Amino acid sequence: MTGKRNDAPSNPDADEQTETDEQLMVAFARGSSDAFNVLFLRYKQPLFGFFRRRVADPAQAEELTQEAFLAVLRASARYQACALFRTYLYAIGFKILRAHRRKSAFRVIFHGEAQLGHEAAIESTADAEVVLRQAVGKLDPMDREILMLREFEQLSYAEIAELCSLPLNTVRSRLFRARTALHDLLAAPAPHSTRNELKESEGRA
Amino acid sequence: MTATTHPVTPEEVMAFLDGELSHVEAQAVSAHLEDCAECAGVVEQFRNLSQSLSEWEVPAVSSKLDEPVRDAAVSNSTPVRTIRFGIWNWRLWAIGGGGAFAAILVFALIIFSYSSPLPRTAQFLAQKKEIEQNNAATNNKPEVMNGLIDKQQIAALPLESRQMDSLARISPGVVSEAKTRDARDRTVAPPPSAPMIARTVSLTIQVKDFAAARAALDNILARHHGYSAQLSVNTQENAPRDLYASLRIPAPELLAAIGELKTLGRVQNESQTGEEVTQQHADQAARLKNSRETEERLQAILQQRTGKIEDVLEVEEEIARVRGEIESMESDQDALEHRVSFATVNLQLTEEYKAQLNSPDASATTRMHNSFVAGFHNASETVLRIVLFLEEYGPPILIWLVILGLPASFAWRRYKRMHSRF
Repeated sequence: MTGKRNDAPSNPDADEQTETDEQLMVAFARGSSDAFNVLFLRYKQPLFGFFRRRVADPAQAEELTQEAFLAVLRASARYQACALFRTYLYAIGFKILRAHRRKSAFRVIFHGEAQLGHEAAIESTADAEVVLRQAVGKLDPMDREILMLREFEQLSYAEIAELCSLPLNTVRSRLFRARTALHDLLAAPAPHSTRNELKESEGRA
Repeated sequence: MTATTHPVTPEEVMAFLDGELSHVEAQAVSAHLEDCAECAGVVEQFRNLSQSLSEWEVPAVSSKLDEPVRDAAVSNSTPVRTIRFGIWNWRLWAIGGGGAFAAILVFALIIFSYSSPLPRTAQFLAQKKEIEQNNAATNNKPEVMNGLIDKQQIAALPLESRQMDSLARISPGVVSEAKTRDARDRTVAPPPSAPMIARTVSLTIQVKDFAAARAALDNILARHHGYSAQLSVNTQENAPRDLYASLRIPAPELLAAIGELKTLGRVQNESQTGEEVTQQHADQAARLKNSRETEERLQAILQQRTGKIEDVLEVEEEIARVRGEIESMESDQDALEHRVSFATVNLQLTEEYKAQLNSPDASATTRMHNSFVAGFHNASETVLRIVLFLEEYGPPILIWLVILGLPASFAWRRYKRMHSRF
């Protein structure tokens, strides 16, 4: 159902296509920096999309992407090819995202609401996309996360279940519930939303 | 769309579109979708939704991200030989097993080096030292006694002079004769007939059969008319036996006895010393002769009885003193002559040790029973200690749990509210 997106994992090097992510990661753990470069090229855009859709500030999304890859580098010696590298990478992404949200909440408590910088992309955001983001922001947090992992990161039900520590059937039912709720939200007449409301909903996402 | 009218649920349709159904289930859903327009509408609904979500585009990531990550990858690309601590990691088992074996080996070496042999060696050395000290005391006794005699004689000289003065008053002729004889005896010493040598031999022999060697030792002593002045045997479990003896063997038979002793086993150490005591014996003989003649003179003076009663008593006292000196010197001379006539052999016999595979002291059933009883005692002791600990520290722990637990619980609930998982 989900089509190929611009941030889906890609294999830029035809020679490296025969090697799986896990093989490349093991090769890097043995000292091949080229293997990591291939992995970086494959997952740079998907991981940035993962953070960009969940963090309001694009600069912070880039920082978090970089931080996630550095974490993969640091943990490469302990990597075991018992799970898909993609799941492993997004698990690291979730840890970093949670740490970022904790720090943001801490700053909000002690320093007040942070001033979000203007973003050119938001300025040119189409109305349909604004409505879509707003609708996604209104979903239940867990349902929203499952929906986004399926639609944008294109993870399978099993991978989502492993990432969210949920049973497989729960993931399927929650995904169905999220899609149904989102369909209803998009079908209903959208109220006028300001940019700040959009940012708030994006921040929640 | 209900289950009664449709064999597949919308959730299954969604899973079918996501490719999450098995082959059989997917075929069933696909067949149903071809016939059911309502379910086809559901499919269209999901596809439209997915199409709507695909409009949420993300701009391309900046290229400035590449350089720091790639630099970090290059610097981090050295092969890391990290041992993963999994249960089935053979390296972990190999290293752990090797380490444990090495630790056990070192521990065993320490135990066997310092627990059993060392005390045995220390005990043996202590006995050896004691025997050597005894020998030294025996050997030095004449010299020490000689020193004492010399001092006594030196101290007695003025007294003797004073006695001579008083004796001169009693019988001047006897005193002058005695002085002349004393002077002649002191200057003329008897010439030594043959060199007198006190021999000491030390032998360390390692034997295979300790009991046989012990019996052979007794036979050798009996054959050569010797005796053991001191003998000690150490017999310890799981350790070689050893014997340390101080033997006295007649000097003419020393060489033959040593030759026979060497046949007991492998000689590890041998040393021989010979101390010439000829001059020492001659000095003692001269002093003894002088003292005897002094005694004879004093006896002669006493028999004249021409002086006062005080002078007679003084002469009797002098006779008693000289008699004591004579007896002391005689015993010293006997000891010295014994040292010459009987050589000393310090013998050490060590058994070639072969480890014995001893059976356990107690049977397996007894040991299991003892272990069970000990375990029961330990368990009851542990339970008792826990109860005593709770009785002693339970109330304050409860108080602190209330003091600290309530705020912590409140903070945790607040934290959970503020930081939901997603």
